[in-house]
Amino acid sequence: MALSMLCLAAGGIGLQAQSSDDLFNPAALQRIDLLVNSQDWEKLKQDFQENTYYPADLTWSGQTVRNAGIRSRGLGSRSGTKPGLRVDFDRYATDQTFLSLKSLVLDNLVQDASGVRESVTMRMFARLGVPAPRESFARVFVNNQLIGLYAVVESVDKDMLARTFGSVDGNVQNDGFLFEYNYLQGSPWRFEYLGADLDAYEPRFDPKTKEDKSASDKWGPIEELVRLVNETPGASLPAVLEPRLDVTAFLRYTAAQNLVAQEDGFTGYDGMNNFYFYRLEDSPQHVFIAWDEDNAFARQDFGITTRHDENVLMRKIMEWPDYRARYFTALQESANSAGQVEEGQSEGWLQAEMRRQLDLIGDAMREDPSKPYTNDDHAAARAAMLDFPNPRVNYVLCETTKALGQAPAPGVCP
Amino acid sequence: MIGLTLLVACGAEQAHAQSTDKRGFVWNDRPSIVFGEDLHVDLRARAAFDWRGFDPDVDEDLYDLNVLRVGLKGELTRHFDFEIERELDSDGEWTDWKDVYLNWDTFDAASVRGGRFKMPFGFEQNLSRTDLDFIYRSRISTQLTPARDRGVTVYGRALDRALTYEIGYFDTDGDLGKLEEPQFDTGEETRLGPTYAARVTGAVLRPLVGPDAALRSVRVGAAYTNGRLPEGLNSLRGESPYGFDYFEPVYVKGRRQRLGFELDWTPGPTSVRAEWIQTREDRLGQGLGDRDLSDVLGTGWYVSGTWIVTGQDKDQNISMRRAVIRGGPGAIELGVRYDVLGFGSASKDGPPERNPRAEHILENSDRIWTAGVNWYPMEHVKVVANAIHEDFEDSQRTPKAGETSFWSGVMRLQIVF
Repeated sequence: MALSMLCLAAGGIGLQAQSSDDLFNPAALQRIDLLVNSQDWEKLKQDFQENTYYPADLTWSGQTVRNAGIRSRGLGSRSGTKPGLRVDFDRYATDQTFLSLKSLVLDNLVQDASGVRESVTMRMFARLGVPAPRESFARVFVNNQLIGLYAVVESVDKDMLARTFGSVDGNVQNDGFLFEYNYLQGSPWRFEYLGADLDAYEPRFDPKTKEDKSASDKWGPIEELVRLVNETPGASLPAVLEPRLDVTAFLRYTAAQNLVAQEDGFTGYDGMNNFYFYRLEDSPQHVFIAWDEDNAFARQDFGITTRHDENVLMRKIMEWPDYRARYFTALQESANSAGQVEEGQSEGWLQAEMRRQLDLIGDAMREDPSKPYTNDDHAAARAAMLDFPNPRVNYVLCETTKALGQAPAPGVCP
Repeated sequence: MIGLTLLVACGAEQAHAQSTDKRGFVWNDRPSIVFGEDLHVDLRARAAFDWRGFDPDVDEDLYDLNVLRVGLKGELTRHFDFEIERELDSDGEWTDWKDVYLNWDTFDAASVRGGRFKMPFGFEQNLSRTDLDFIYRSRISTQLTPARDRGVTVYGRALDRALTYEIGYFDTDGDLGKLEEPQFDTGEETRLGPTYAARVTGAVLRPLVGPDAALRSVRVGAAYTNGRLPEGLNSLRGESPYGFDYFEPVYVKGRRQRLGFELDWTPGPTSVRAEWIQTREDRLGQGLGDRDLSDVLGTGWYVSGTWIVTGQDKDQNISMRRAVIRGGPGAIELGVRYDVLGFGSASKDGPPERNPRAEHILENSDRIWTAGVNWYPMEHVKVVANAIHEDFEDSQRTPKAGETSFWSGVMRLQIVF
């Protein structure tokens, strides 16, 4: 009896000690169980284009959170076979959290046969100091039936902001205006001025905090930023831009996206896409937060200024010599970081991280019954991923060296 | 519209006084067509216009044409009678059919009604909307009773009306019980109903008291329905008088049952009325992992009292001998009602939850005080003023999140032939 009580107490302590860091532990392959009504699950799959919520119990590592809400999610990744899921812990129970999280995303990985593009990118971004969600992998079971391998993605919300931006004088920096950028099908946008009417900004910048504030509070500063970027001559740009945009963080973000050859990011092939936009607490200054990077690692020779001339903000920044130099410097530093051989490793950080993640998910990916690609496709994607880092790092180092007017190191440029 | 209707009402009053011919088109309390002894048809019309105010403001319209109906009601020989009534919208377009039925009532002890009409459940629900003591019915009458459906009943009375009964079979579960949410495509039968309904009332004190005793008019009753309930978000819902869903449907499957008790007592110019109703809906296989859940319950009651201060008898049609057009005050009636309707689950195990598949559903209820004045200035015309105070149990499910108490005021002008 005493032993049982001791074990129970120890188990309880163990459970209580778990945190979101354990859930997002990059070294672990998790198991997540969802208990739902079978009719709800069929309806969610049938109506996967809709955002209807269904109740579910979620169990991870022996802990169950009841009364959560799940819904289909994604844009191009929506699937009726292997639905991407958003899990809201406070959907039916006000203020309920799980591991202090209000929600999380289960990314179905249907657009990436390698399975690791996004998670490697987010780890790379975090290493470079770019605000990015934490990610891990999990086998997801619904009613005890394996649905497949998913990426567990931290939601961009006030908790993530607190983790990312920390505290200033004891004040947690998570009470600003957070927007999810919405890509509008058939209406690509490249930071051109959309006019003074805030209605033009509302569908693109979906507020995730302070939803009840006025339109001018929410979108007014965005309209102002876009207008000033479009209307201000190059020489005057820093004075109007820097109070409204963290330029250093922006250059780091765009350089990081370029390093990983992201085709569908800020300078994406169909306009801007895949980011959150955050106006810092009690400040007019904005920062970008990375999101949905599964179109990264497009090609090794992805130009270091690809489509910069198409985007008004990027073009104007690159026209200013100081910013231009800082961008190339940031990109060069990113490449150096990606290629850095860490202690105990025999290859650069990016290559080692890719290999580690691919090895971690290998069995689960092959056992995934719902993935829309074959195991041979996965094997080919794995090989292509592992072929990427070294040539890419060399290419970026060579090109940035040229751009900065530096002498290339021996062997960097072919 | 209002002026025209009032004009017709005054004209009807005068025409009634002049009516002597009992064949053809006559005014016999209302416009009628008489074809001799075996057939007559009354032309009926009802209209009610509301003016409403809310605190806090919940974006409801200030004016509302609440009722606009026309119909025919008549007799075919002494064995049959019928009624046909249809609603119009504010643009004058036809909308819902209301009553469309034929009665065979040769025998008092056993008559038969077929067609579309109100199911025998709920005392207040079975009163005409324009015969109510208050502008809005109690919540149990609008949310828990089935109201009209297509079906057939056998009904009758005995012991000089001291005992009445109705028993019926209905196609679905009434207009108020119908399914409103998208249905699952499970391949199973998705049809609601059929529903069986029965109601018994009795003047239980009549044998015990003298012919002039006030308690002689006490009538109590009980009613029950039982119908098939298909799988889906198909439970009954809690809706405030102004259409806010304070309890949204939850997943159900199995049977829907109702049980109701009623009291009606109308001594002289006063009345006391009360009802208690509970609905019980199965949730077979509706839990997470498809386990059975405890029944979802809707439970409520009301008690009301009225007093005609001008002295007319409540039990009969209120006399208009002192109507305004004859120099009198008409009839003035004061009333107050308290009604409650709450929803939850039979099980109280574990923490209550708002999700529609919870074993222990977090309850929410609407508790309403209504105080009012009814003024009957003349035959066919009624003016009603009500003050309504609502109090919701769950502050997250109210017309304005975070606020639980609401005041509203409603005035109604209604004209009925």
